[in-house]
Amino acid sequence: MIRKALIPVFMLMVTFPIALLLLLSFGKSWVYPNIFPDQFTLQHWNDIYQINSELLMVTLKSIGISLGVSSVVTLLSFFSSKHISYSVYKSRWLFLAYIPYVFSPVILAATLQFYFTFVDVSGTFFGVILAQLFITYPFGVLIFSNFWNPRIKAIAELSNTLGGNSWITFYKVVLPLSKGVLLLCFFQVFLISWFEYGLTALIGVGKIKTLTLSVFQYIQEANIFLAALASCLLIIPPMILLYLNKRFIFTNQQTI
Amino acid sequence: MNANHFNILSNKIVFLMLTILPVGGGFVYAFLYSIGTIGILNNGFTLSHWVNVLTDTSFWFSLGYSFYIAIVSVSISILLALTIVLFWKKSLVSNNSIVSYLLYIPLCFPAIVVALFSFQVWSKSGLISRIVSHLGILTEITSFPDLTNDTYGFSILYSCILMITPFFAILFSNLYKQEQIDHLKNIAMSLGATKTQALFKIVLPVILKKAKITISLFIVFVMSSYEIPLLLGRQNPQMISVLAIQKLQRFNLNDIPQAYAIACLYMIFIGLILYFLFFSKSSTQLSVSPLKRNFDD
Repeated sequence: MIRKALIPVFMLMVTFPIALLLLLSFGKSWVYPNIFPDQFTLQHWNDIYQINSELLMVTLKSIGISLGVSSVVTLLSFFSSKHISYSVYKSRWLFLAYIPYVFSPVILAATLQFYFTFVDVSGTFFGVILAQLFITYPFGVLIFSNFWNPRIKAIAELSNTLGGNSWITFYKVVLPLSKGVLLLCFFQVFLISWFEYGLTALIGVGKIKTLTLSVFQYIQEANIFLAALASCLLIIPPMILLYLNKRFIFTNQQTI
Repeated sequence: MNANHFNILSNKIVFLMLTILPVGGGFVYAFLYSIGTIGILNNGFTLSHWVNVLTDTSFWFSLGYSFYIAIVSVSISILLALTIVLFWKKSLVSNNSIVSYLLYIPLCFPAIVVALFSFQVWSKSGLISRIVSHLGILTEITSFPDLTNDTYGFSILYSCILMITPFFAILFSNLYKQEQIDHLKNIAMSLGATKTQALFKIVLPVILKKAKITISLFIVFVMSSYEIPLLLGRQNPQMISVLAIQKLQRFNLNDIPQAYAIACLYMIFIGLILYFLFFSKSSTQLSVSPLKRNFDD
């Protein structure tokens, strides 16, 4: 009984940050000691839909970077992980993958800044995507390392024994089995890229602006209303992805 | 070389180029800069920058402060997550309940958003201060205690706990299911154990032992936090990532070699911890979490 009664309290605690940020995103002024903003406006949200809106461009750019990074990482790490997982020295290869995964991306970016400037990709769209690959690719390899297990190997070998060539085995056997983990990797890497701040700030040198950088900029400008709006824009895609992730992928994985 | 060997080799080369090459290249550059071999104001080999960093109290304070934030926030998060899991275990095990959906919501918040939220709640002009003022407890804004940019890192701890607790709760509820803890508990109780004995001798040891590698990794992740302490921390003491980056971006060019020396020390420290976690006898499969990136972006 108490457990059920406490669920609304828990729900309130979890959703409170979203409610506060949403409230502030509609605010115009918030004079101390008023608990709620004194004036509300739809202007900030309406401004997003203007063609030349900076926030719209930043959102689209962030989506572009995250989609680019997650697509490349999912594709590359899927195949790399197979050879690493089936290697005799699997644990040593995985140890190497854990090193950039555990590292602080901002410190990694600080040590790599020189190379990016040297090859003239610092402050470019490509440079930011490349830098994000360094932190997300090992993550992708680690996700797929659980998929490439002896069972999948045995199924692929069975398909070969029964006459399937390597393309048919991959297309008709391995790929259908890996749909869930491919989507999982894509979503997770999208989130990592979407949440990225320090590495993007250092490698992008202020020229490549993403939503996380915009939140920070608005905070520095003491514009809490626009910072709250940019925060809401940052939260929405992960919420949709996590819903899809939980609703479909986890359910699918349980049935595999 | 046949096509299969070429395929394996090319994939391993891609792997090395995207994992070890950046880390190794970054370390080499940082190390050479820190010993004066390369860099704008450097005039040749010197160990003075390393000596300066290692004898400077701010580096050790920073390391200690990062460790304090990590240990306190992870410990409180473990306690909260265990409470949530044990309190709502039936709902969480079913995986489709409202509680299990709610736990995923905080995972959608990037660190910078959590830091902004914490600031709006706990700062002198934040929501709590306004509510307290309305209740008549607070006479003026300055009477509200410093809960952001404070010495004890209150709002940093609050933000970290807010982010880690849901992840640990999900992890623990999965372990509860995987390890069939209910079953183990029932056996213990049918053999005469009390509820308290079953909790402290079966449930908690099994969960915590299985999760110990992930917990250790989270201590490292929190120690490397960047955005949260950048917004909610103070100038002294600073967390290690903030200290390194601020030394790098200061106008004083003489600080840059020291920043790289700190970066090298950090890299060595992380490498040793990882080596110990990975190759120690008790190590099991390490887990991966996208939440990690929330901390040390």
